[in-house]
Amino acid sequence: MKKIRVLIAKPGLDGHDRGALVIAQALRDYGMEVIYTGLRQTPQQIVAAAIQEDVDAIGLSCLSGAHNELFPEIVSLLEQRDAGDIIVVGGGVIPWEDIPFLESKGIQKVFTPGTPTKDTAIFIEKAVYERDGIEQSIKEPPKKIDHIGIAVTSLEEALPFYVNQLHLQLEAIEEVVSEGVKVAFLKIGESRIELLEPIGDAGPIASFIRKRGEGIHHIALAADQIEDRLRELSKNGVKLIHDTPVKGAGGANIAFLHPKSAGGVLYELCSKATKEAE
Amino acid sequence: MTTEKKDFQTQFEEWKALTEKLIEKFPEKKEAFKTSSGIDIARLGHPESLDENYMEKLGLPGQYPYTRGIQPTMYRGRTWTMRQYAGFGSAEETNRRFRYLLDQGQTGLSVAFDLPTQIGYDSDDMMAKGEVGKVGVAIDSLDDMEALLRDIPLDKVSTSMTINAPASVLLAMYIVVAEKQGVSQAQISGTIQNDILKEYIARGTYIFPPKPSMRLITDIFAYCAEHVPRWNTISISGYHIREAGSTAAQELAFTIANGIAYVDAAIEAGLKVDDFAPRLAFFFNGHNQFLEEVAKFRAARRIWAKIMKERYGAKKPKSLQLRFHTQVAGSTLTAQQPDNNIVRVTIQALAAVLGGTQSLHTNAKDEALALPTEDSARIALRTQQIIANESGVTDTVDPLGGSYFIENLTDQLEAYVFEYIQKIDDMGGAVSAVEQGYMQREIHQAAYETQKKIESGEEVVVGMNQYKLEDEPKPELHRIDPELQRKQIEKLKTLRAKRDQRRVSARLEELRSGAKGTSNLMPLIINCVRDYCTVGEICGVLREEFGEYTGI
Repeated sequence: MKKIRVLIAKPGLDGHDRGALVIAQALRDYGMEVIYTGLRQTPQQIVAAAIQEDVDAIGLSCLSGAHNELFPEIVSLLEQRDAGDIIVVGGGVIPWEDIPFLESKGIQKVFTPGTPTKDTAIFIEKAVYERDGIEQSIKEPPKKIDHIGIAVTSLEEALPFYVNQLHLQLEAIEEVVSEGVKVAFLKIGESRIELLEPIGDAGPIASFIRKRGEGIHHIALAADQIEDRLRELSKNGVKLIHDTPVKGAGGANIAFLHPKSAGGVLYELCSKATKEAE
Repeated sequence: MTTEKKDFQTQFEEWKALTEKLIEKFPEKKEAFKTSSGIDIARLGHPESLDENYMEKLGLPGQYPYTRGIQPTMYRGRTWTMRQYAGFGSAEETNRRFRYLLDQGQTGLSVAFDLPTQIGYDSDDMMAKGEVGKVGVAIDSLDDMEALLRDIPLDKVSTSMTINAPASVLLAMYIVVAEKQGVSQAQISGTIQNDILKEYIARGTYIFPPKPSMRLITDIFAYCAEHVPRWNTISISGYHIREAGSTAAQELAFTIANGIAYVDAAIEAGLKVDDFAPRLAFFFNGHNQFLEEVAKFRAARRIWAKIMKERYGAKKPKSLQLRFHTQVAGSTLTAQQPDNNIVRVTIQALAAVLGGTQSLHTNAKDEALALPTEDSARIALRTQQIIANESGVTDTVDPLGGSYFIENLTDQLEAYVFEYIQKIDDMGGAVSAVEQGYMQREIHQAAYETQKKIESGEEVVVGMNQYKLEDEPKPELHRIDPELQRKQIEKLKTLRAKRDQRRVSARLEELRSGAKGTSNLMPLIINCVRDYCTVGEICGVLREEFGEYTGI
């Protein structure tokens, strides 16, 4: 496949190009072809370079506060020159309150300080593939077993075994009302055991216990890009319980796959932000 | 051996006597310094007997090689200058912030200029679009400078100006404003950054190619040595090199290599080393890695003293002393959980103080997001006031001196730096190394390594790659008046209409012929600003004569 071409540009007058240079190198290492404009480029110069170099995307970096004036001008110049299909993203010292404005002006994404460079690369790749109608395949496996869910009739009765006999540490207990369940988290190495107690008779855990009794309910796999994975799984004929992610315990994004497609095992995909340490 | 030992003891006794005499003239802050337990705090901790090794590497504070500091009493005599960098929007608005900071106990001013000013464009230039008043104050002409410094006593306050390529123009304006206040140029004190080499390397606000840029710099050295003796004519800056991603050793090495290039240029221009060297100042970064930073500042002093003495044969003690300003590292601030930045700033500032800085800027917590608000600027100043007044670290000179670890690190950094300097000498000096892109490449490589370490989690950044918050609160940010550029352009139009255009053209033509020749440009530039030529017009003439640097 043709390599994605990206122009990294410094509009305006500021000379802080550490970010631009690091991004340029990271995108190159990711497998893209990258052209860097150098400092102090006018919107006209940037647009001309983008068209001449036939790039798929432009990454703008500005740390001087001139982004509200300069970024939209670049997008509108691209449109005037029939190059509106070039994807424009930006970064730098950009206050959060300016981001909706920039996005409304056609900047597809603003990456704030602290964004891993890989996220930027993945975003650009996805946007280019989507624009060009290229299907993207995810080959990266899930990272680890996030947790094993075990259905119990009563947390109060089940917990002493885990805490007193296995000496696991109880981290938290939380109610997820939408799923009709109360969850206890027990940390074990990089993973967790989640004990699930039904609230009322209606939820999925209640019906699981009625049909099969207490026991292992599901295995959760930690994975990013859940939406893309679900799309791909569904396209490949894997039956899903959730077509799009929903909010689960601990604020994670989760989705269940159907056991019919997984040899009778109920798998969950989940992605969560690192837990805030106390 | 015994005689030598006695010599060191005698030297020490002499130092003590000298120090006592100095204290009679400049008393320390207290008669006696004591800990909370009533234990006497010695002015200087030192080994029981001073040997050759000690005297050669550390020496006594205020004496060669100045490892332990440039004054014998350091902060027991006087605290460092608290100098917060500020400037935004219009000259009037910045003047208000300056007066607020002075009221809050700040002891020196530090002016941030907007990018068009720093690159020699007027506010109505096409290149200035979107940038007017954003990262600093917009100064087009003497008119703006007068507004900026209104009601600030220039004979009392020292002012640092972060200005490089057009440093002569802004210094000329400062001189003329002082003159209008009735303060002579011999009385004013302050600093211009005036360090063009690091602009090519790391900061980006260059205008002219290296050669004429170096001439502008040595013209300033020569003019100030004669007429503005209390002005620091350059602030040789490692700060931006570090911000661009260098290591501590690279920051030190490249800064000192640049310093050597300036000294060489001045000597080549016919100046005597002891005439200009006392006014050279340095500017370093106060970064993470607390202990390495302390060692870095101590190593810097020793290296510079050695170079000035051995390489240039400087005689005056002031030529050998490396005086420096520190700003803590903006690049270590996180946009996430900005309150945590206050803690980062505290640790970094403490390293600068234990390293013996002469002045300090502490960053505001919200600088990864926008320019500081008045509240966050105040907390930043309070941070240094707490270190100065509450921590007790100022009660003794160079408290970490003699620590095995610190001394070893100091030695190793020094060795590292001399290795780099050798390499740069072999390339033909800093100017030629810059032209070959050598330092730029080294820095970029280090920056990329750091980024990879942060992304892999090998380097922990609290709140950013670990201990994250799900929902970041959105803090109040400082906003620049979006109408500012329009107002500034209006003001400039009015000025152009009311000034004596014939005088303006004449002055600019005088400057042009000066630039074609070899005479000192400073007096010509002073004449230009006095007749209200703008920054853009003056730099425009020089652009036409000198050409523009376009990067490598």
